[in-house]
Amino acid sequence: MLNAYADASGDHNPIHIDEAFAKTTSMGGTIAHGMLVLSFISQMMTAAFGERWLASGSLEVRFRAPARPGDAVTARATPQEPKDGRLRYAVECVSQTGEQLISGTAEVS
Amino acid sequence: MALTLSELPSGHVFAPINIVLDSERCRAYRDATGDTLDVYDVQGAVPPLAVAAFALGALLESVGLPPGTLHANESLQAHAVVPEGATVECRARVAQRSQRGGWVVTVLESEMMLGGASAVFARATVLCPADAS
Repeated sequence: MLNAYADASGDHNPIHIDEAFAKTTSMGGTIAHGMLVLSFISQMMTAAFGERWLASGSLEVRFRAPARPGDAVTARATPQEPKDGRLRYAVECVSQTGEQLISGTAEVS
Repeated sequence: MALTLSELPSGHVFAPINIVLDSERCRAYRDATGDTLDVYDVQGAVPPLAVAAFALGALLESVGLPPGTLHANESLQAHAVVPEGATVECRARVAQRSQRGGWVVTVLESEMMLGGASAVFARATVLCPADAS
């Protein structure tokens, strides 16, 4: 999946696709592109809001921990108080161990 | 020799990049992310995050990327549906550059223009090891 994403996005940072190099870094091995993991939140919001998300969605996230090859990632959203007339959600991605990989907010008109 | 990402000063403006959102490229992105939603086909639309990802990939290709570079934060705002087959112009700049705890922190801002208007805005915070600069 990581190589396919690297080819599709044009992001060939070796930390994502070169295991030998990645082992020499503080990550200790290859990690998923943050934008790949974030795409699961975008998919979740698209599934919920369709064209509204495509035309007016916004995300503000922090990448808190890396996802690694073989991880199972779950995206979820928790409703918050609307802001400036926009629906607002706390969003996150967690790994199969419950580790939070991404956290932030999503808004849609 | 071209500067690396971590050497670009705050205020640096990238040359505009045209990004062609052809169906093959969009399909490859959706396959790579496991996105099987049919709304894109129904709307003839491109995921806004795909537009931002293509822009980030193009920007990183245009500069040297220090080994060990990490993506720390991402902000995205969709202003309009981006149709498949369109060409967007990516206008990007280094909004901030600082150094903290052994890392060079670079904030890249990108505006993806479609028909003269902003369709997607993205801001990526990227960390590069300072000793790799």
